[in-house]
Amino acid sequence: METVIKTLFHFGPLVFAFGFIAPLTAQIIERAGLALPFGLTPLVAGLLLGAVWGGIAQYRGRWI
Amino acid sequence: MSTADVKQLSDAELMRQEREIARRHIGKFPIVSVTWAFANLAVWLSLWPLVLTGTLSVWIAFPIACLNVMLCYLPSHEAQHDIIARPGDRLRWLNELVGHVSTIPLVLPYRVARLTHLEHHKHTNDPDLDPDYGTHASGPLAAIWNSIQSRQPGTESGPNAYAAALQRIGRPDVMLDAVFATLAFYVILFALAWSGFAIEAALLWWLPRHIGQTYIVYYLSWAPHHPGNLTGRYRNTRGFRAVLGNIGSMGMQYHIVHHLHPRIPLIRTPKAFHEMRAVLDARGCRIENL
Repeated sequence: METVIKTLFHFGPLVFAFGFIAPLTAQIIERAGLALPFGLTPLVAGLLLGAVWGGIAQYRGRWI
Repeated sequence: MSTADVKQLSDAELMRQEREIARRHIGKFPIVSVTWAFANLAVWLSLWPLVLTGTLSVWIAFPIACLNVMLCYLPSHEAQHDIIARPGDRLRWLNELVGHVSTIPLVLPYRVARLTHLEHHKHTNDPDLDPDYGTHASGPLAAIWNSIQSRQPGTESGPNAYAAALQRIGRPDVMLDAVFATLAFYVILFALAWSGFAIEAALLWWLPRHIGQTYIVYYLSWAPHHPGNLTGRYRNTRGFRAVLGNIGSMGMQYHIVHHLHPRIPLIRTPKAFHEMRAVLDARGCRIENL
């Protein structure tokens, strides 16, 4: 249990990115009615943003 | 008695007068804080069904939720100092209930808040022992930026400073409260987000929590102790005039009285300050534009 929790916190930025930023971005795009390039769906765009931003935050140890 | 006359008094007499004033304010039941705790939590909780059912616009609910988070800490702070009821008192359960439930929007467990806050009182402005020392900054904008930075994943201040303080006082077990509260917060946030309520979760909890934390760190920690380089009973906290006034700073203009006599209820600190003013001046306290 302890190992699982420690791993979750260690990968906190990535977990937050896929758990929250991805669906949040998708829902913002949907509600704003934004058209995405290359046939991207809002969820794929959210996952891409989450992966990039979360990855950077995971590496740098900071979101901003 | 004039300030000049008070300055002639001995240490013992100054202390006697200070304690006499404090005694008049300690022990009064803080009905405002208790009502504040439950009303604030009830409003915040009610925002969820109102917004999720479409009864209330999330854009109206968002500033209310921000206010709820900003307001949620101080009732718990009263409980941390046993102001509502002391151990063994008939209403002790109420003290503990307020402590536990009022900071739910902030995701700050009571035992963590209490133990680290008492360490802050014991070691105010000590760079090694004050768990809130990381909030110190050169000015208002730096304080806000510092607060945001303290919540970044790789930071050494913020939650990590609290964990270090709990370790130091032999209560690392209490950190589990923070671990489980944080996990619960993110599980709820993720579940809402993946159920189609990400914007609502962001504007009712995630973003208000960040805004509330920034406000709380600024007015409840940075401003009353700035510049934070002095220690000692009469020098580690200051009286100051807040841009947002006494209500806008949630009574923190008179935080010096709280550090001298932590069991005076928040609502009574302005009155106690004015009664104690001459003694504070005689003690060389930092009272700026107040």
